[in-house]
Amino acid sequence: MRNTGFTKHYYIMLLPGFIWLLLINIIPMFGIVIAFEDFNPGKGFFHSEWIGLENFEYMFSLNDTAVIFSNTLTIAVMKIAGNLIVPLIFAIMLNELRFAVMKRWIQTVVYLPHFLSWVILSGILLDIFSYTGPVNTLLKLFDIDPVLFFARADLFPFIVVGSDVWKEFGFNTIIYLAALTGINPSLYEAASIDGAARLRRIWHVTLPGLRTTIVLLAVLSLGNVLNAGFDQIFNLYNPMLYSTGDIIDTWVYREGLLNMQYGLATAVGLLKSVISFVLIVVSYALASKFANYRIF
Amino acid sequence: MIKKKISIAMALMLVVLSACSQSEGNKVNTPSSSTEEETTHQTDESEQPSDPFGKYSETITLTYGKAVDPSDKSLPAGDTPEKNQYSRHILDNLNVDTKVIWQAASGTNYDQKVNLAISSSDLPDALVVKDTQLRKMVKSGQLEDLTDIFDKYASPAMKNFMAKTNGQSDKSVTFDGKMYAIPSIQVQSDGVHEMWIRKDWLDKLGLTPPKTIEELEKVAAAFVEQDPDGNGKKDTIGIAGQQNGGRLYTNFLESTNNTFGLDPIFGAFKSYPGFWLENESGDPVYGSILPETKEALGKLRDLYAKGLIDKEIGIRKSAYEPVTGGKAGIFFAPWWMGYGPLPDAIKNDPSANWQAYLLPLDADGQFNSRMGAPSTSFVVVRKGYEHPEAVIKMLNLLVRDEAKFDISVPVGYYPLRVPMSYTDESEYSAKALKEVLAGTKKPEDFTDPGYKLLAADIQNVKKVKKEPYDNMDIQHWDPQADTGTWSRIYSLLVGSSPLEQNYNKVYSVLYSQTKTMESRWSNLKKLEDETFMKIIMGAAPLDQFDKFVSDWKKQGGDKITEEVKAYNQ
Repeated sequence: MRNTGFTKHYYIMLLPGFIWLLLINIIPMFGIVIAFEDFNPGKGFFHSEWIGLENFEYMFSLNDTAVIFSNTLTIAVMKIAGNLIVPLIFAIMLNELRFAVMKRWIQTVVYLPHFLSWVILSGILLDIFSYTGPVNTLLKLFDIDPVLFFARADLFPFIVVGSDVWKEFGFNTIIYLAALTGINPSLYEAASIDGAARLRRIWHVTLPGLRTTIVLLAVLSLGNVLNAGFDQIFNLYNPMLYSTGDIIDTWVYREGLLNMQYGLATAVGLLKSVISFVLIVVSYALASKFANYRIF
Repeated sequence: MIKKKISIAMALMLVVLSACSQSEGNKVNTPSSSTEEETTHQTDESEQPSDPFGKYSETITLTYGKAVDPSDKSLPAGDTPEKNQYSRHILDNLNVDTKVIWQAASGTNYDQKVNLAISSSDLPDALVVKDTQLRKMVKSGQLEDLTDIFDKYASPAMKNFMAKTNGQSDKSVTFDGKMYAIPSIQVQSDGVHEMWIRKDWLDKLGLTPPKTIEELEKVAAAFVEQDPDGNGKKDTIGIAGQQNGGRLYTNFLESTNNTFGLDPIFGAFKSYPGFWLENESGDPVYGSILPETKEALGKLRDLYAKGLIDKEIGIRKSAYEPVTGGKAGIFFAPWWMGYGPLPDAIKNDPSANWQAYLLPLDADGQFNSRMGAPSTSFVVVRKGYEHPEAVIKMLNLLVRDEAKFDISVPVGYYPLRVPMSYTDESEYSAKALKEVLAGTKKPEDFTDPGYKLLAADIQNVKKVKKEPYDNMDIQHWDPQADTGTWSRIYSLLVGSSPLEQNYNKVYSVLYSQTKTMESRWSNLKKLEDETFMKIIMGAAPLDQFDKFVSDWKKQGGDKITEEVKAYNQ
């Protein structure tokens, strides 16, 4: 009884956030009925003609659908992998640094890009990789012909993934660094007494110590498998890059907001949400099994 | 215990805070709901019958969404896109108080905002929309029927403009015999894309304006190879191209004002991609899938590979840059380049002598130009707005007084402004100006008030044009005297003059969407944009075109062609 009294104010504190969630995330969900309607804004949700699964049938008849789903999957999976591995390596390297001041300084610098929006960063990227930009100037020094990066559909996913990892790795490093502090220093001491050199210590002490964290992060990111990053790609792509760069979100944006194909765009968005939902459930089950992670 | 108290206090604070923000939200809401009430109160106010310029006895309110140019800095201190010389003019003359409900940057941002307003049925009293949006709104029953009101209130000048389009403008706003919008009536020159070329570069290299595709190739090559800007570096562009998000050529839905596209090069091959044409048997065909287009693409691919077209065509962030920076020698655009980018170009290099020509010609020595729709934007009124005639009165006023406005603040700030004029206004004005300059005619000879800016143009022309009056080279102009006037007069005398010649005008048989297009067109267009750009830039072989044609037909193109045929009969 005493316990309930004590926790009440937590719920009160939670209330504003919950109201926000309700207004912004839960209530608009009723809009998914549009996916099953020939939506007519003048008539609204309740009076538009109900056409069942027609939007979905049309969606699967489009050649685009397979392309955008596979583009999304490719880019998102590469991003997930990159954002797991690069910060891990970086955190371990940082952990091996002995100068505390330098360590903190580096840590601060590398996570700064995380706070820049893609609108700004993509402008910078377009300049850096432009035909007369720094990258091509550099290539020229090695007698390589300038490359028109943003006309090369084959290179685009790598530019997207590379820049995303560059932007986020500093921030993701923090989680690993936190986990690293939890490893008992006496393990390192014991290992070095046993004659283990640095790499051996990383292999036998650091990595096993991080295993749960790695598994947890990997499993939780499953829910993002269909999120390839709208704002990044939208600000970088052009028609030359559609074949590898057009993702579900950019497509839905063009269909729904620009071409007013509300039903179709909602259907695709809904499909994406359903798949993501299944993945999140699966990832939660996996997380609780392998990393003992529980929300409730 | 203390800890507990603090946390309870904090929780309470949060509740108070959120309550505060809620009440603030209420406050914001109140004024708008009260204005709604005001307007409803005024409904029963009776007014004098059908005076096109009749002033309301009591102030009425009209809300609208506004497209603004974020880079524009012409508004004097204290004025806003909502309250400026134009809104005051309307308030003084008509007693209509115009209120901006939301504003967005012109172009895609504005279109999106309109789309959102349509989809949520949360509409201001009036809006300027595109053809596709107009159709959607009509279909959704969101618009006021303007048939009778237009008949009663439109000024004779406005009706005259409409009449000159041979019913095309009427047709674009009439659905089931009812008029649902007031169409813009644009000068036809907005749809004719000319070749703008650096004449000073030509002179320097001893060349003449290229008449054919072969000559164009030679001139472009000279511009790239022979260092026309004389800085010792090979950094010039032969033919400039469109920017990222720009169009390679106009199309039947967006048929005018394509800056930096390559329309005339397609025209020289008698190719009109993006337009609906008629074949020998009179049936509609889509220009993008015809063999002439493949031929034109092959040539463009060749020019690109040789480095004569901007390497960053379609990727560049701003197509203006190479022109204003003095790096490009040729680009294709309509007559009004004197308004931009040329002012910046001559600011950076006063000797940049940009001249316009109807070139290159096709194999028969003819210039082929695709022509735009006379009406591309539309003023619509929300169903249930109490004073739909106010919108028509505002446009009457615009047409009547446009020549008198101080255009140092662009007329785009006029609420609900859409261009309205005779379709031949720019060619006619150019010819008139030349005749007045040459002394063969007097200002008094031009009396038709429908050419609403001409009197002012005649008055101003000698401010910026220096003698000799028949030489249009840049050294015979004085842009510093009055940049605004220079923009207009240069656009007319240099940009519109070529249009007095005979040229082959090609119209699309259709300038709007059919039923299947609503769902299929964006995908077909994506296919087209992607394929054509890849072919030109060498990322796909030319024969990819054949696959495009069969894909296009299969993915809905054939069905749409049938619909266009039915529409035309």
